[in-house]
Amino acid sequence: MFKLILSNLRQRPTRTLVSVVAVALGVALLLVSMGLSYGQLVDTVRRAQGIGGDFILQPSEASVIFALNSGTIPVRVQKVIEEVEGVEAATPILAKFLGDQFHIVFGIDPESFGRVNSTLSFVEGGRFSEPREVIIDTIYANSKKMHAQDPLQILGNEFTVSGVYREGIGARVLLPLTTLQELNGTPDKATMFFIRAKEEVPLEQVYESLKERFENYKITKTAELQEIMMDNAPAFKEFVTAMVCISVTISFLIILLAMYSTITERTREIGILKSLGASKSYIIRLILNESLLICAAGVGLGFLSTFVVIELLMAAFPTLPVSISLFWRVTAAAMAVTGGTLGALYPAVKAAGMDPVKALGYQ
Amino acid sequence: MIGMTRRKDVVVVEDLQMVYRVSKVEVPALRGVDFSVKEGEFVAVIGPSGCGKSTLLHLIGGLLQPTSGRILIEGVSISSVSDFERTEIRRQRMGFVFQSYNLLNTLTARENIALAKRIQGNGHYEDGSARKILRMLGLENKMDHKPWELSGGEQQRVAIARAVINRPAILLADEPTGSLDSENSRMVLEMLRELNSVYGQTIIIITHDPEAAATADRVIEMRDGKILNRVQNMFYAMEEKRS
Repeated sequence: MFKLILSNLRQRPTRTLVSVVAVALGVALLLVSMGLSYGQLVDTVRRAQGIGGDFILQPSEASVIFALNSGTIPVRVQKVIEEVEGVEAATPILAKFLGDQFHIVFGIDPESFGRVNSTLSFVEGGRFSEPREVIIDTIYANSKKMHAQDPLQILGNEFTVSGVYREGIGARVLLPLTTLQELNGTPDKATMFFIRAKEEVPLEQVYESLKERFENYKITKTAELQEIMMDNAPAFKEFVTAMVCISVTISFLIILLAMYSTITERTREIGILKSLGASKSYIIRLILNESLLICAAGVGLGFLSTFVVIELLMAAFPTLPVSISLFWRVTAAAMAVTGGTLGALYPAVKAAGMDPVKALGYQ
Repeated sequence: MIGMTRRKDVVVVEDLQMVYRVSKVEVPALRGVDFSVKEGEFVAVIGPSGCGKSTLLHLIGGLLQPTSGRILIEGVSISSVSDFERTEIRRQRMGFVFQSYNLLNTLTARENIALAKRIQGNGHYEDGSARKILRMLGLENKMDHKPWELSGGEQQRVAIARAVINRPAILLADEPTGSLDSENSRMVLEMLRELNSVYGQTIIIITHDPEAAATADRVIEMRDGKILNRVQNMFYAMEEKRS
């Protein structure tokens, strides 16, 4: 059967190629879009967790997508947080989304930030000591080919890069909290607080204490941030569902079209197989296996083209986070195969049910 | 014909009627056909176009279902079994040869023949007897050619090899020489004759060709969906029974 399938696919190379490319398109579309959206999400979570806090305190109506919030919490709340039992340290952070550069910067208070975070390390230069100094992470520095002491424009103001830190902590650019408050027009305000619990106190106990003390605020466990972000990101689930549906539909329609035209062209061949005693199940398996082979090739090509597209995107936008998990690779393959199998099912059943005499007489 | 005293009936056709329905019009193709074919017999069915020869062959082969009547293949009524069982009988007990060869163009001669074996459920086809058949059909050097690389005669020989590779109880041939020149026709008929005499292959051949009909042991003549020489065929059957 495999030889027959292969020879049939070879016999119509253009159609086979177009079908494979179309399936690959569905796979690549799903993987690239999921890779970019999850990449953004996973990277945001990873860098938020990289700050080192166990909890994030925000106004009750704030979004876990930091870029969507402005500075509304007074910085003095820090003292109140640190008075809560089990809290080791709290640091205010003002988040500002730079629309022109399409990334977020954090305003930090170096003293309290240092008490919450213990992993900030520099590959060049060091912390800022002047109001017009910033530190940038390695990815940002590589993408902009910047080094310590280089100038950097932020919100129309010129800053000097005082140091380059290893990526994975907060935003790609960190600047003094007071400077950003001034530029943002929100003096003494923060977007959120990162809170570190004392090691000896159970996290759940600290969480309950914080909730009790700040009942009108949103307290988020950083360990649960990814899950919460997925649930709260606007239309994220709908986007994922839409992408999966588009991928399945592309495979379904292409395979349906390819297999339907195949069985029409091969009506006589199906008649011959029936005259040789091929059962209905044999003919159904023949068509389904042919579509499976197309889908398998499409999945392979889809993976390859995803890799190429991602590489090109990364080369063009080095700060772009991309994350394609095994789950999404398996899902993309499964969706392509499911769509392809469903698309081949009707032509397969139609072929199996053909009248052998009519099929043999088909010209 | 093989020299046996009592041969069993491989095919028995009883009062076979076939009516095609074209929209609301009924077109009778067979109007009560009776005959039987013994094991190892070579029977030719002749008659003008539209007399029902091909319909008869397709009915015997289980490719069509009769309107009424019965067809027994080695004692099993293929007209009353399920589609699945009919397919099984076709796969295990029958071989078809068509006028237009009907080889799969995407496969080589070897693969075309192997396909029949695989559909039957046997993985490898080049066993001793199969090799003998291929040698007899003069196909040993053509096995890796695609159908379009073969002459009409060679294609038909591949089709015959494919039909007999599973050693079917009956070989059904529909105008096997209809598309061949006289030289290739003679060769194909000789091969069918040899399959019948050497291997005892039961053969039913549909033909217009008097030379092809003359190759057979017995001729069934049809016209307007009926057998013309019915009495002669009945006598033949009685003779067989007596012997």
